[in-house]
Amino acid sequence: MSARQAVTVTKYRPPGRDYGYTNARLRGMRSRLLKHAFFEDLMASKDIAVVIQKILQTGYGHDLENRILHGRTATQVDEALRDNMTRTFRTVLELTNIEAHSLITALLGRWDLFNVKTVIRGKHMSLSEEEIANSLMAVGQLTQADAEELARQADVKAVVDTLSTWGLPYAMPLRSVLSEYLQTQDLSLLELALDRYYYEWAAKRLSGRGPNMRLAREFLAVQVDTMNLLTCIRLLNSDLSDTDASRFFVPGGTVVDFDLFMDLASKSDVDEIFNRIKKTPFGRQIEQVAYLYIEKGSVSVFERALENYLFRKAFVSGKGDPLGIGLAIGYLWMKANEVTNLRIVVKGVSVGMPVQRMREELIVV
Amino acid sequence: MIKNRLARMVFGSAFLTAMVVPAIALAEEVAPGAAEDWRAAVARYAAAGISMAVAAFSAGYAQSKIGAAGAGTLAERPEAATNIIVLQALPEIIVLLGFVIAFMLGTA
Repeated sequence: MSARQAVTVTKYRPPGRDYGYTNARLRGMRSRLLKHAFFEDLMASKDIAVVIQKILQTGYGHDLENRILHGRTATQVDEALRDNMTRTFRTVLELTNIEAHSLITALLGRWDLFNVKTVIRGKHMSLSEEEIANSLMAVGQLTQADAEELARQADVKAVVDTLSTWGLPYAMPLRSVLSEYLQTQDLSLLELALDRYYYEWAAKRLSGRGPNMRLAREFLAVQVDTMNLLTCIRLLNSDLSDTDASRFFVPGGTVVDFDLFMDLASKSDVDEIFNRIKKTPFGRQIEQVAYLYIEKGSVSVFERALENYLFRKAFVSGKGDPLGIGLAIGYLWMKANEVTNLRIVVKGVSVGMPVQRMREELIVV
Repeated sequence: MIKNRLARMVFGSAFLTAMVVPAIALAEEVAPGAAEDWRAAVARYAAAGISMAVAAFSAGYAQSKIGAAGAGTLAERPEAATNIIVLQALPEIIVLLGFVIAFMLGTA
């Protein structure tokens, strides 16, 4: 055996579909998620120093200790929270069995998609490297270093070229519409190409048999449905022709199919949309926030409601089969939810936002 | 929930062995004073062996699953060690039952 072979360590991964070890670890990790009372206490903090002190006592302490060496600011806390989330997601990926690893990788591709879209949006709007890098969340296949390297590129074309050089799959859909984008400067072309590519890729990876595969596929379909529904709400009063509206449809959902999408896209009022979808699982979500929409006039209330629905679906999937993939999906989304909420509170306290306003901004607690 | 086909086969055979084989073996009761047929003796000892073997394999399978989950729990909550050891030892009862059946068959 050569010296190189002697030092090679193969990391243990539970075999095939053995969820016993993985799910026991996940249950332990889930039990350490922060409780509602902690958020209430955190929101009542008078300044960022108190917030830091409270977060140091939690599982985020290790990451926060490393970051506050650079200053006890909200930005450093934010970075520590992102570090923790990245580290946790990577830990989960490492301890999953072969089947779960494949399923989780397909679902976490959502964050790769998010990162690539964030960089492209940033470059399109000529944002600085720091501004883009601060919004990235490297929990998928792209590492933090990869994402930051993408953010360093000069423009959208350079980002696509870099992705091609790395041989990453997201380069393919981007290249196919790049010339059209360069002519029209229409960002939606790139975003739609990425969305379609990701959901098609993930659906292919989740096309096998078995209850775990089915659960992951259903969860992916809910993501596609919420995205299509949100697109329809955004298209209200846009006066698009059928051909234009059909461009925005992303296939793969189970509730919002092409016909329903086209019908919803032709509506001009939230009431009409609600009447059309009231018998679907999304009806209640839309109904609950319709009055807020009338009050504020912003579609962001629907965005928040649908996001809540997606998170709740993920949490519910964790309550099914104790030896299935649902627990991992539930835990990862709970963790993402917790980090998002902590970031909201940290930002809120640092700018002196009222507690009631912060409470409204929190996602599912 | 037992989903795995192998698990169903193992537990199915354990159940069958525990119920059916001893019943068949004990059905051939030997009349007092008469010499036992050699085929009945072979069947008895084979049944005793199968009872013990299947019970041991079933316990091993159960312990492997409990052990994997227990290792995961210990990694996150070392304070649960006592409970895990108790749970890990529980399937030994299956082996004890298999042994009792084998003993009854062997001495019948």
